[in-house]
Amino acid sequence: MFLILEKSNIPELLEELSKKYSVVHYRKDKTALSAKGYFLAPRENLFSFAFKRKKLSVSPKSKRKLLLFGLDPVDLEALDQLDEIMTRPKEDYFYLQRRKNSVVVGLSECSIVHPVTVGDLVLEKINKNQYRAIPLTKIGRAITGSRLFKKDLPAGRQGNNPGISNYPEEKDALRELVKNSELLSEAVSWSWRKKRPIWDELEKICLGCGICTYVCPICHCFSVEDDIKLDGSECSRCRSWDACTLNNFAKVAGGKNFRPNIKYRYYNWFYHKFVRAYKEYGKSQCVGCGRCQKYCPAHIDIEKVLSEIVKDYQNEKSLSAGNG
Amino acid sequence: MKNLYQPETVKIEKIEALSPGVKLLRLKKRLNFVPGQFVLAGLWGWGEAPFGVASSPYQKRHFDLMVRKVGTVSAALHSLERGDKITIRGPYGNGFPLDSFKGKDAVMISGGCGIPPIASLIEYFIKNRKKFGRLYLLYGAATPDEILIKNKINEWQKAVKILLTVDRPTPGWKGHSGLVTELIKEIEINPSDAVAAMCGPGPMTAAVEKILKPLGIPDRRIFVNEERKMHCGLGKCQHCTTGDKYVCLDGPVFNYDQIDKNTD
Repeated sequence: MFLILEKSNIPELLEELSKKYSVVHYRKDKTALSAKGYFLAPRENLFSFAFKRKKLSVSPKSKRKLLLFGLDPVDLEALDQLDEIMTRPKEDYFYLQRRKNSVVVGLSECSIVHPVTVGDLVLEKINKNQYRAIPLTKIGRAITGSRLFKKDLPAGRQGNNPGISNYPEEKDALRELVKNSELLSEAVSWSWRKKRPIWDELEKICLGCGICTYVCPICHCFSVEDDIKLDGSECSRCRSWDACTLNNFAKVAGGKNFRPNIKYRYYNWFYHKFVRAYKEYGKSQCVGCGRCQKYCPAHIDIEKVLSEIVKDYQNEKSLSAGNG
Repeated sequence: MKNLYQPETVKIEKIEALSPGVKLLRLKKRLNFVPGQFVLAGLWGWGEAPFGVASSPYQKRHFDLMVRKVGTVSAALHSLERGDKITIRGPYGNGFPLDSFKGKDAVMISGGCGIPPIASLIEYFIKNRKKFGRLYLLYGAATPDEILIKNKINEWQKAVKILLTVDRPTPGWKGHSGLVTELIKEIEINPSDAVAAMCGPGPMTAAVEKILKPLGIPDRRIFVNEERKMHCGLGKCQHCTTGDKYVCLDGPVFNYDQIDKNTD
């Protein structure tokens, strides 16, 4: 037995939830940005310091919990990764405070085949009008206590129940590619070591604008800077998104830039996602959501780039195996 | 959950000009650290920046930073006076692997503003002098004025052979000038039982090629203290990465062969 929510009842459910939570209905088709910004804000105050009273205050958490509704399984996977990154090896206080102060409800338009390990409740499409509720936490279960969730009919009495259909995930080349994180890790670092031409080609195309990292649901580079109030009475220590593809990202005071041109910076972006991340967490920091290629103003197709790197690597490997 | 971004406030006990552009800040706090580790020092309204600790790890009442005026934060720190307060987070990073140095000869090489972690290491060596073999410090600066350890030389010389060199000698300068490579003739070590510790700006690679390699010290026993941009100190912000390492967590001290192939 499970609980079912009619698709037509979603607005009413959100209305109901908004009495208790600050509800955000996240819709991928309405924004270029991923949902990471709700937890790692594009710009946030970490501390305020009042100069006269020498008083330090830590950015207060909001009184109402955030309820983030509508993440699809790909974005849930990304959130799960970001949670891990912000927890290990050291805890990021501000991110984790925001996460603790939130409820995440996933909405899956395809049948769930992989276990979901993040969020409080997932709604899985079972036919064109209905979702099945999969509560993952106590809070998730409490949400399904709403009268809008109906028990399904007992077996044998399915006369007016439209039944369960299977909605397989759409095949996506990038999603498939990033599943083999070990291969990607080897191929990307090999390709740089061997000075393959692809990095020179990318250097010519990439504008170094950082959009790929801003729209990425996992990229988490940031900078911390102090802002002083106009009257000079107070300052705030602000954290804002940064991007490893921007020129000054690795430049130290005094002028030395450890990644002086875009070739190095673009490679570093790949290196972090596919090589360093694999060593650190055992997987690529890419879930294949496709935002970076969709919003790249230079139309860099990350799927094509990765495929080319992998193909190049495999060719080389089979060649050397043949020669051996 | 502990908020690792929240700094503590410390008072400046003493300020001393070490060179035209470098000041020593003595901070009143007992800091438990290993030579080679660094702190993030900051000033509200200006931000934070990383500094290697320059004083002896045995000093119980205070610790020292050497601040070169190069950026926003360091310029702000230069404007302060004795009794003012700044903020500190840390110590961060690994520090030099002191246990593995025991019983060995050590060659320390530093250029310009790279001296703080080496200074701290020398203090450690001096305190434990009997546990180590022959000790050398090769220190290069642009001009005699830029030598940051002028007031330490007499004290250190009792335990460490100090070889100074400057790029541009001034009248009256009695030490060496030009590349430190010339100094190699004055070093006598047992290369199979010696370590090297380095910190400083870019030309350090040349120091490895021209001094440590000819001396016969293998890459695995060369320890380099690295400098990178740093914002969080916790392995999150990604500014300080080099290859697959984080300077803030895995470093700042690395075996030379861990990082010599890195492009960044």
